[in-house]
Amino acid sequence: MSSPLPPASPTDAGPAAPGRHSPAAEFWRKFRKKKVGVASGLFILLLLIVAVIGPSIAPYPMEKPDYNHILAGASFAHPAGTDEFGRDIFSRILVGTRISLWVGFSSVFLGAVFGTFLGLISGFYGKWIDTLIMRFCDILFAFPGILLAIGIIAILGPGLGNVIIAVSIYGIPVFARLVRGNTLALKASVYVEAATTVGAKNGRIIWKHIFPGTLSTIIVYFTMRIGMAILTASSLSFLGLGAQPPTPEWGAMLSNGRAYLNTSPHVVIFPGIALFLSVLAFNLFGDELRDALDPKIRD
Amino acid sequence: MGRILFRFSAAVSMLFALTAAGFAQGAATAPKDIVIANNANFVSLDPQDTNDNISFSAEKAIYQGLLGFDKDMKLVGVLATDWVASPNAKKFTFHLRKGVSFQDGTPFDAAAVKVNIDRLADPANKLKRHSLFDQVEKTVVDNEYTVSVYLKAPFGAMLNNFSHPGAMMISPKALQDYGKDIFKHPVGTGPYLFKDWVTGDHLTLVKNPNYWGGPVNYNSITFRSIPEDGTRVAMLQSGEADFIYPVPTEQLQVLAGQGGIVVKHDPTVGIQYASMNTMKKPFTDIRVRQALNYAVDKDAFIKVVFNGIAGTATSCLAPNTRFYSPQTPYPYDPAKAKKLLAEAGYPNGFETTLWVGTMSVSIKAAQFLQQQLAMVGVNMKIESLESGTMANKIWNVADPKDATIQMYYGSWTPSTADADWGMRPILGGTMIPPKGYNTAYFQNKEVNADIQAGLDSADVATRKAAYEKAQKTIWNEAPWIFLSVPQNIYAYKDSLQDVNLLPDGTLSVYSLN
Repeated sequence: MSSPLPPASPTDAGPAAPGRHSPAAEFWRKFRKKKVGVASGLFILLLLIVAVIGPSIAPYPMEKPDYNHILAGASFAHPAGTDEFGRDIFSRILVGTRISLWVGFSSVFLGAVFGTFLGLISGFYGKWIDTLIMRFCDILFAFPGILLAIGIIAILGPGLGNVIIAVSIYGIPVFARLVRGNTLALKASVYVEAATTVGAKNGRIIWKHIFPGTLSTIIVYFTMRIGMAILTASSLSFLGLGAQPPTPEWGAMLSNGRAYLNTSPHVVIFPGIALFLSVLAFNLFGDELRDALDPKIRD
Repeated sequence: MGRILFRFSAAVSMLFALTAAGFAQGAATAPKDIVIANNANFVSLDPQDTNDNISFSAEKAIYQGLLGFDKDMKLVGVLATDWVASPNAKKFTFHLRKGVSFQDGTPFDAAAVKVNIDRLADPANKLKRHSLFDQVEKTVVDNEYTVSVYLKAPFGAMLNNFSHPGAMMISPKALQDYGKDIFKHPVGTGPYLFKDWVTGDHLTLVKNPNYWGGPVNYNSITFRSIPEDGTRVAMLQSGEADFIYPVPTEQLQVLAGQGGIVVKHDPTVGIQYASMNTMKKPFTDIRVRQALNYAVDKDAFIKVVFNGIAGTATSCLAPNTRFYSPQTPYPYDPAKAKKLLAEAGYPNGFETTLWVGTMSVSIKAAQFLQQQLAMVGVNMKIESLESGTMANKIWNVADPKDATIQMYYGSWTPSTADADWGMRPILGGTMIPPKGYNTAYFQNKEVNADIQAGLDSADVATRKAAYEKAQKTIWNEAPWIFLSVPQNIYAYKDSLQDVNLLPDGTLSVYSLN
């Protein structure tokens, strides 16, 4: 985790020469051959669609209890059965998709923004700023991820909003390290030296010449972090620190259902599958994305 | 991803283990060394400084009181053979059992009783059970086997306080030798001796060879603290434990019908309620409080939260509490609830917050109430608080005006099984936090007078009349949403004898006859 991924070649970021494939076309040519990558990409697309329209296609209102059908198994009326209050689990999973994706995206996005900013500054200016930022990252790295998140929640209090903050904070050092590594490499490249020589300001150099070169790394890592962020957020909810009842967050559903594990296993199996497939899709997608974006890997 | 796979495989293997354990039951012979698995850690082995039922359960095997409760919560003499209360309920005289010694050889006599009652009555000792004896003026040794306790004011329920496990007798010599450390070195008159205690793991007691009551059933009793519900159930199935409690209701069907295992549930003396702060809007209005009682379907509550294993609350006291008098339950009637809310000026309901502990069954109950109140327009937020935080928020409030508590989900189990302790600490006007547990901030002149009248007399008819009146007023005033009477649920090997979970939630490991 602490060793940066191989940086993309700076020339990739430049404008495409006439007659050559553009980087996007090049990427697509490589990526579409990867069946697993395309499949997981399609699954993520499905998740996004469900996240947007989920509440309106859910067969039942997710908060509606039915005390005459508690803990009923899967059936036509309830494709994933009902929970301990007789609520339709399938509907709750659909509504929960938006929550999990929102927490995943927003927390990684926040972590990526701050991390990238710190990484660029750290790599470009070096000296004491670099030392300061990297030691700060070391401190954050020293905690196992979930422990750091629990610590932050302990200060901020439970709740989904605070889970987003906690997960994003623990993503900051990862992005900072990666971007710093790329920045160091790009800073030494000829075109940056050229830009410096013609008198470009530091801000312009960072924004126009270095940042685009780090993007492919950020995109890959962004995708892979989302799976992890969803899992961490669910773990926090499982521990009672995240989503509060009756929010149908997947981790919270697993936590509520574990009391019925040996009597009504469907209560945990279906949210478990949803969580499992989502995290798997983001991880596989990230993996394949890296291969496709990495110019050193030729097909 | 790896974590999820692990979670799944752990779940699957646990299911296999549970099924396999079901077949592993062998032919049962009466065990000589038994293991009792419960859900929490022991806190203390000093009964006079204990307020949790888990600790009382072990203490009751080691210690005995002058009086006690048998398995039906009937008051019986233990170390006292007979007793007399003066008509004004101010003097109580006990004739002690002869030929009894503490486990360290110290003789049990009137002087030993005086040492114990003096210890309990002295506020300087800061014992958790001081409140049971704060009315004691003095204790007098009449002769070697007769002792009299004088109270400052009449107290009709005093005999029940003497039978509370917090009033059990500790060896005076041990008290002198160990001082504050007596909680780790218990010495009583009971059938089992203390052997060792490893916090968070186990507590072992062994047979007292010199027990005055005759032969003792078991060579040793080991208590194990197993917080995970499923693990306790698996331990009983695999034969690792002989008696487990509590059994969560959702695990009942796992155990039901298994050979060699007895599953039992019986009513406690407790009551489950959701209190409303009657000094704060909107709960100052009796119509709002009654409306909430109409809004909750108590039968569904019991079915959903307790799997049907609980009784409906029919008073602020449980049916097997002394002087209980049944009231007419508020029927489930959301329409009437809405009407009452509208009359009170809340046609669109209101927002409120319920404080609840962290136990999963309590949170489930809170969620149920949330769903029910939502149907009449009341938007109730749930705040699940860890016990230390909760205690702070409730009892660190000096002035009722500063109280932030709105609704509170709780239960109360009076270990004296008497109406006084069933009402005064939770509904008495003198027991508003920080003094007591009156989380409803219920201050009703009539009820206060009735509670006092019951306290002032030892006459059964007078007390009965007073408590009947109080229960009626409380029911009508509705400071709580009256919910249910919880049950003790426990399971054990059918070869086990004389181990009983009493209605007050404490365990008794021998019979008191």
